[in-house]
Amino acid sequence: MSDKSDVWQGTLALMVLKTLETMGPLHGYGIARRIEQTSGDLLQVNYGTLYPALLKLEQEGYISAEWGTSDNNRRAKFYALTRAGAKKLAEEARQWEQTTAIIARFLFPDREAS
Amino acid sequence: MSPAHPLRTMRAFALRIGGLFARDRQNRELAEEFESHLEMQIEDNLRAGMTPAEARRDALLKTGGLSLAQENYRNRRGMPWIDTTLRDLQYAGRMLRRSPGFTAVAVLSLALGIGANTAIFSIVNAVMLRSLPVEDPGRLAQIKQGENGDLTNPIWEHVRDHQQAFSGALAYAETKLDLADGGQSQFAFGLWVSGDFFRVLGVAPMKGRVFGKYDDRRGAPALAVLSYNFWQRRFASDADVIGKTVRLNRIPFEIVGVTPPWFKGLNVDRGFDVALPLACEPLLHTDRNDLDQRSMWWLTLLGRLRPDQTILQAEARMRLFSSEVNRATLPSDWDAKGQAEYLKNTFKLSPAAGGFSETGSQYRIALFTLMAIVGLVLLIACANVANLLLARASARQREFAVRMAIGASRMRIIRQLMTESLLLSLLGAAGGFLLALAGSRLLVRLISTGPIPLAIDTSPDLRVFAFTIAATLLTALLFGLAPALRATRVELEQALKENARSAVAGSSRFNLGKALIVGQVALSLMLLVGAGLFLGTLRNLLTVDTGFISQSILIINADAQQASVPKSQRVQTYAEILERLRRVPGVVSAASSMLVPLSGAGWGTRSRPEDGAGASPGDTDLLLNRVSPDYFRSLRIPLLAGRDFNEHDALHSPGVIILGESVARHFFGPANALGKIIGLDEFGPVRTLQPYQVIAVVKDSKYRRIDETPVWSAFLASGQDPDPWPTVSYEVRSQVPVEQLIPSLRAAFAEVNPGVSLEFQNFENQVGDTLLQPRVVALLSVAFGLLALLLAMVGLYGVTSYAVVQRKGEIGIRMALGEQRQSVTWLMLRDVLILLVVGLALGLGVALAAGRLVASLLYGIKPNDPLQLAVAVLVLACATTVAAYLPARRAARLDPMAALREE
Repeated sequence: MSDKSDVWQGTLALMVLKTLETMGPLHGYGIARRIEQTSGDLLQVNYGTLYPALLKLEQEGYISAEWGTSDNNRRAKFYALTRAGAKKLAEEARQWEQTTAIIARFLFPDREAS
Repeated sequence: MSPAHPLRTMRAFALRIGGLFARDRQNRELAEEFESHLEMQIEDNLRAGMTPAEARRDALLKTGGLSLAQENYRNRRGMPWIDTTLRDLQYAGRMLRRSPGFTAVAVLSLALGIGANTAIFSIVNAVMLRSLPVEDPGRLAQIKQGENGDLTNPIWEHVRDHQQAFSGALAYAETKLDLADGGQSQFAFGLWVSGDFFRVLGVAPMKGRVFGKYDDRRGAPALAVLSYNFWQRRFASDADVIGKTVRLNRIPFEIVGVTPPWFKGLNVDRGFDVALPLACEPLLHTDRNDLDQRSMWWLTLLGRLRPDQTILQAEARMRLFSSEVNRATLPSDWDAKGQAEYLKNTFKLSPAAGGFSETGSQYRIALFTLMAIVGLVLLIACANVANLLLARASARQREFAVRMAIGASRMRIIRQLMTESLLLSLLGAAGGFLLALAGSRLLVRLISTGPIPLAIDTSPDLRVFAFTIAATLLTALLFGLAPALRATRVELEQALKENARSAVAGSSRFNLGKALIVGQVALSLMLLVGAGLFLGTLRNLLTVDTGFISQSILIINADAQQASVPKSQRVQTYAEILERLRRVPGVVSAASSMLVPLSGAGWGTRSRPEDGAGASPGDTDLLLNRVSPDYFRSLRIPLLAGRDFNEHDALHSPGVIILGESVARHFFGPANALGKIIGLDEFGPVRTLQPYQVIAVVKDSKYRRIDETPVWSAFLASGQDPDPWPTVSYEVRSQVPVEQLIPSLRAAFAEVNPGVSLEFQNFENQVGDTLLQPRVVALLSVAFGLLALLLAMVGLYGVTSYAVVQRKGEIGIRMALGEQRQSVTWLMLRDVLILLVVGLALGLGVALAAGRLVASLLYGIKPNDPLQLAVAVLVLACATTVAAYLPARRAARLDPMAALREE
């Protein structure tokens, strides 16, 4: 477990939103698996961080939740992106891009030059 | 991720508040969601080829600790601190329910403490703090001349017509009006008001109209505006009341309007029943006109400040205006010296937002004293509850230690304990508030005497609520914080050990308890000393020799104003009535007088002995009364020398006077006063001293107040009254209970003149009513003193019991080693007695220092009266010793074996 880093809260929310945008409505387990896979199994998502984050997004109105049935006939709570969530995601993604570009220029100036 | 939009944050906040509720359903959903998450993980693991056991173990590891996740989730779902507080409250409620005895004692003492404070405060609030419910009351100012608030109508008319300082001014006077058409009076409380009265106050009528400037002119028709209350009471809320008449002092007044229910006049003690135009005042008199009287001081003047002016600016303008008013209203019949004084009058303003209250001014010191007393009671109650909490906390040590061992912080436990304290004081406050509602009303009824009852509105307003809440929070902090801090200073290991009885840092815990006991004893002693002083004052006042005997005397205040008795006939009519009254069966003797002693009324004048032995230089002010023959016999005032008045002392016979013994001694020393001549200023148009011959000396009697020092009083003969008033009082001494005489006396009046209005009063009660304030203060201070004593006893009992439980082992060993039961009792008692002595000494010191503050409420007793102090100390010492002895004796009855086995 030590080689896998826990996701930090702020970025987790962004990852959740992006996952829901790509995959459509998904249950908590699906979201966790998808994030882990996308990260190339470098990240690990557990209950303790995922569900409070989902709840917060739901309370803020960026995602909605509804009980439904999974592929293998299991009852699960499905989360879906709302319109406010989609807007938020676009905005956050742009900001994130900008921030990483700036940080990259600071940290690896030689790469910039090439 | 950047912070969410404020609206989103608010939405989240609202949902979190919602999350505080419906917790069960949400918990179930969460569990279900986690469950399905876990199951899916397991299935995937199985598909990846793990054995079922491996799959489950791996899934659990991956998903992380379930309970931690739940905790995080819950914190996010609701508001953690509200959630915790609610849980703390639930827990506190359970703890309190588990020890109902402790809870009952604590809540009851807090309820009594908070209730007493709220009750007294709501009266203080009503008579001193609350603003009148009129438009912008903060801009109302009373116009006074120096310290004198009563002004004449000529002054008012000049102010009304010429003042520039205010945007509006008003004048009013209070009056007692008779609703009955002769016979026994039925009183209404009336206001004479200037035409602008309602407009300046900003009071619109609820029905009909209020007065206007037009109603201010002389000779205006007799109109009346009713208060809502009077309209309900007297006219049963008659919808068609406008245009009907109300007869007041037998004059019909046409009703033109009714004021809204919230307007109760400017007197917060009594409200009002009817308002009448000032200009109609002369209708009530057949023989005088107060409106043009330049020496008749009866009006209260108020001005409304202009929006752009402060009260100081307005006062400056009014001061400049003074001399103009003085010149225009100078009483022409005054002597030069008096006129020169009059011209020096200057106007002053004082804020009038709170209206006027006799209770507020008369009972001012008494109310503050009561406020202090109930404050002390609340402190004692706090000390008591704190002590109980301390004892409980040590019983709960292990609980705290366990909670701290499994990770609760000290703050968390203090918070839990404070929540319990808060819950206790909230329960106390709720009970206290209900007590106060009833208590303040009861108090008002207690101090309400006379024909027009007090109508002080003590209903709670925001200020009273705020006061109660503040008192509640403060008490919770006072009694809760120290025990909570002490209780949580725990040595974990020790506390968890099986045998440690007290892991709470032993001696220091007990020091707090000791300090509380000392404080409680000291405060209780102060209250007991106070109760003793006020009780002593009342006893002294009740046994004061008034100089007359008020028992079995019925007073009849007769008003012949509207009974068509011309002034010249008054003396004769009064005498005829008196003759008729004397023949009523059951009457021992009867007399008439202009004034009734101790009724508050007085009449004084300048006097000088014409042929005195030179003992008295200059003039002496005499307090006078005019009385009929038999007055002294009826009131049992001893005649020391000379003869009573008789029917030969008539208008045209030589003037005669009867002196009280003090003034006789003042004028003539030990010499015989009989036959000497005294000059009296008769207050008529001719300002010369009229000669009166002394025909008797009587024993001194009280004139205005029971607690006055002997005054210089003298009596003139009713038969010699050159200017008899339209009112007269009769004193009837009865063989039977005085109330039984009323019907036959009323009939006797009707035989002579059915038009006379009558008011009957039991003289004994009337005299008793003058002692109302000392009676109420004594009653309440004794009640609160006893309450304090009880609380102190409970406190000492509790502390001693606790000490006995704590030292069980020691006692067991001592007894096993052969120590006597008595010496064990003494061992337990000794500690408490030391506290008691320290507390008494402290309380005595503070009581001596505080005594001076209440000196003005005392009569015939000094604040440092040694007997009072000794009695208070003795009572407190005995009561508390008994309270401590009971548990101490129990210690001596312990079975040493049992006690040791427990160790």
